[in-house]
Amino acid sequence: MIPEHVRAQAAQCRHYAMCKIDYLGTGLCASGAEHHYVSHFPQGRMDLCDALANNQIAITEGLVEIADSCNLCGICDRQCHFVTGMRPVEVMKALKEHVREWLARGNMPIAAPFDPVLEQLRQIVGQRWATNDPAVLLTYAHDPFPLAGPQMPRFVILPGNREEVAAVVRFANGHQIPYVVRGNGGSVFGFVFTDGLVMDMHRMKDIVIDAENWTALVGPGVTSFELQQAAVKQGFRVNTAEPAATVCGNIVCTGLFSTWANAYGVNADTFVDMEFVSRDGEFFRLNDPRAPNVFCYEHRLTPSPGICTRAHVRLHPMTEDEEGMLIPFAEFDEAVDFARDLSRRRIGLALGVLGGHYLSTFMAPTATLAEQVRGSLSETLGMRYAVFMVGDRFARQAVQSMRPAVINADLFRMLLLGLPRLADREWQDLLIGMGGDEPVYEFLLRPEMRPVLEAVLRPAPETLAAAVDEDLRTFYTQLYARPEMTDMVWLNMFRILSSRMSRHKHMFAFLIYVPMDRPDLIRAICDRLQRIADDQGLENDFGFLTPLDLGKRGILEYDYYINHQDPVDADRIRQAAVEFEPYLDEISATIKGVKWLKYIFSQGCARKEAFLYT
Amino acid sequence: MPGGKALMERGPKPTILVTGGTGFLGSHLVTRLLAEGHRVVVPARSRHGLSADQRMARLLDWFGTPHQQRSLLEVVEANLEYPSLGIAPQQAADLRLKVDEIIHCASDTSFSSRKEEQVKRVNIQGLEHLLDLLSGSRCRRLYLISTAYVAGKRIGDCPEAFQETTAFHNVYEQSKFIAEQIAASRCAASGIRLTVIRPSIVYGDAQTGRTLAFNALYYPVRTIHYFSKLYHEDILEHGGDRARALGIHRAPDGTLHLPIRIDGGSGCGVNLIPVDYFLRAFLAIRDAPSADGVFHIVNPQNTSIAELVDFTRRFFHLTGLEVTTGEDVASLPRHGLELLFDRHIQAYSAYIRDARIFDRSRSDALLRQAGVTCPAFTYAVFTTCMRFAVDVDWGRLLWESSPAGP
Repeated sequence: MIPEHVRAQAAQCRHYAMCKIDYLGTGLCASGAEHHYVSHFPQGRMDLCDALANNQIAITEGLVEIADSCNLCGICDRQCHFVTGMRPVEVMKALKEHVREWLARGNMPIAAPFDPVLEQLRQIVGQRWATNDPAVLLTYAHDPFPLAGPQMPRFVILPGNREEVAAVVRFANGHQIPYVVRGNGGSVFGFVFTDGLVMDMHRMKDIVIDAENWTALVGPGVTSFELQQAAVKQGFRVNTAEPAATVCGNIVCTGLFSTWANAYGVNADTFVDMEFVSRDGEFFRLNDPRAPNVFCYEHRLTPSPGICTRAHVRLHPMTEDEEGMLIPFAEFDEAVDFARDLSRRRIGLALGVLGGHYLSTFMAPTATLAEQVRGSLSETLGMRYAVFMVGDRFARQAVQSMRPAVINADLFRMLLLGLPRLADREWQDLLIGMGGDEPVYEFLLRPEMRPVLEAVLRPAPETLAAAVDEDLRTFYTQLYARPEMTDMVWLNMFRILSSRMSRHKHMFAFLIYVPMDRPDLIRAICDRLQRIADDQGLENDFGFLTPLDLGKRGILEYDYYINHQDPVDADRIRQAAVEFEPYLDEISATIKGVKWLKYIFSQGCARKEAFLYT
Repeated sequence: MPGGKALMERGPKPTILVTGGTGFLGSHLVTRLLAEGHRVVVPARSRHGLSADQRMARLLDWFGTPHQQRSLLEVVEANLEYPSLGIAPQQAADLRLKVDEIIHCASDTSFSSRKEEQVKRVNIQGLEHLLDLLSGSRCRRLYLISTAYVAGKRIGDCPEAFQETTAFHNVYEQSKFIAEQIAASRCAASGIRLTVIRPSIVYGDAQTGRTLAFNALYYPVRTIHYFSKLYHEDILEHGGDRARALGIHRAPDGTLHLPIRIDGGSGCGVNLIPVDYFLRAFLAIRDAPSADGVFHIVNPQNTSIAELVDFTRRFFHLTGLEVTTGEDVASLPRHGLELLFDRHIQAYSAYIRDARIFDRSRSDALLRQAGVTCPAFTYAVFTTCMRFAVDVDWGRLLWESSPAGP
């Protein structure tokens, strides 16, 4: 019997696949690393536990093996808590216990049904790497997007190389089996489902760095985090997306963008060449003159050009003196103008305007603290927005001469390590009562205030760790003693904090390219999305805005938050879609520089000029 | 109680609507009026997860208001920022039929220009919404709780009368000035008698120290208390490096040396009145048969910054706190703690280095007759008030079931 509170926690898994990358240096789930299927990672076990508790699945031979292969090492507790606040070990234990008790009662697990087609697929990819065990299939059957119903695939396969991918495509075509491809095995927004064959590229993790050409050859199972690690070892940096998302998948789906896109560009700017398997199972490379033209853009929903089997991505140089900086603002328009100004003056590499919610959620290791810090930053300090910048010393000097108050790397470290005390109610009361017309942050960030802040915040890994569960404090203390954990450059390169945005609820993100010189329009878009969400009672907030192409354009993220387990929220987002879909469609078609990312979907290889200036 | 006696002689007690009844002055007035047997209507908002009723009930608990008096109270869920206070038409009609008097206490006391819109919405539009709601009602009396500081940037004598002022230190003063003008003009037009009460800065009860508000006088003292605790802890538990960085140290007898030079500047100090005096003075004025017009409820004696600093030093066993003049300050580098006080003093300099002298001739004439005098702000009073403040952790322990307050 799986206790209800355990099931409820299991059902909250957001499928962000952070348990599939070793982003905290804890090591990976041993079972997942060996078996590669999603079902063998904590994410899959969460789904299975929920399904078992709901009697949605029988105990199969695969499920017994999945439960057995978990050694309860506790890595997932630390990894998952860092981004979601959840403690999955309890779920892992419950799953193992449930299966053990069931077997102890003399039950026999069910074998997966015999399917001759499966045997043929196994001849292509090998016995281990194709399955129709329902326990494995279930972990590829749904995602947290509440409007996408579950759809069980017939097979899951894990090809090991490009030839196997091509062979599987030809086989599927020959047997009229529909297929979808998942870079890292996951799905988040309800797109990647089939009742045919799911191809999970997790085994194809080749990375070859070409230091002379400043490029990397990347297999389709390589995540952004893994590529960044490899690049940094050689002294380079890549423009990457979410850490657990695959590089190839990201390029094909939407194109790569991040705050680094200010300097490194988006979409076709980010790669040198790509290799695909076409729908016919033939290989083509984009630099081949006979290849389909995927550099153009069509303002309609289009299918992807094929399955990317290798991306040849660009690497970028770093300098020794790069540091991050936050520049606070009380007003949105001022922050947007400033970010645009920096971009057009070529000051800084990574650039973005962040909302108070983003900033507090990134920084705080728990949802409770994030909420307190959010109020502290936005209301008490008056820092409703911040422009984030990574720049060399010349860029930082320029910014310091342009603004009355900045948060440099040292001060950020102090604020982060003293975060629980920054949110302390007594200190807040003092700041609120201080009076004065200028925002409190302008005063508080003065150099003379550093010793006072140092005394108030008492910044130290132990101080920050005091905010988490007692049994995790030693781990957090050791974690935050590592310099990179308080380094804005590292954190922004590896983006390990971004999943915290969905810590309290699943995030439904609107990404919209916008003309950066029109803060009024950007604000109007945010206001409209806010009103739509408010009308439906959906939590919502501004996310970020990054300038592109020397400040001519930008990419805006506005977020809705939904409890993906709550049918009421599903209905709310359905109702909201009735308004936001036509609104975003219309502005994408009629206002220069505005493009909802929905239209870029599957056109991620397009040149940015083809959709930003048409 | 003079007010109670006079009312008894007048016959049936009027029903009084008190805005700001969940605030500092308003709640004191409500409980006193209930004690005198008045029917009291309090329009109030839900806040911090508590309904208006719950907020009021908690306040009455704090005041120890007996249950039989509470039956005289009606709390109406309302918001001054909305037309008709956001209440239903039937409820509005009901109020128009029952309210005899208004005591308008509700106010936003923010000084920051960043909050200008909000301050004006509460202090000006809020009054207009209230007068609109009760227009044509049986109400014939308005007591407007204003502030002595509608005098704005006037220097020297400030008469107890409606006066022309064009320059203000902040949006609060300006909004209260405009509210007085609106009240005067609308009351004159509709035949409502108007009394404007202008208190100076109100602190807790001079006898008991009890208070619900910990701003104004309390803020700088609280700040000293906070840093005193912080650096004691740093020295005793964390090695004291952070204290040493600012020249802070602890003597063997536990005295903390906290070197903060506070800019005393020029001016006549701060005008402070205790809430119990405010209450007695207000009721005496209300009891007077023809007390229309403006009344200052102020202290005849200002308290200097030097006195406040001395009181603070003694109370918290500190050395190092000094009052300096503007010239001294300008010539010396300032450390963070000093800048913090500079900023606060700059924001409130109009009140703590006051150059206004408030006329008291009208109020004195009435209050003397009623035997109401303002107590001096002595070290004993300071100690009583600050001991209470520290005991309730500057208000945080006032509401043990919920830290949010009323």
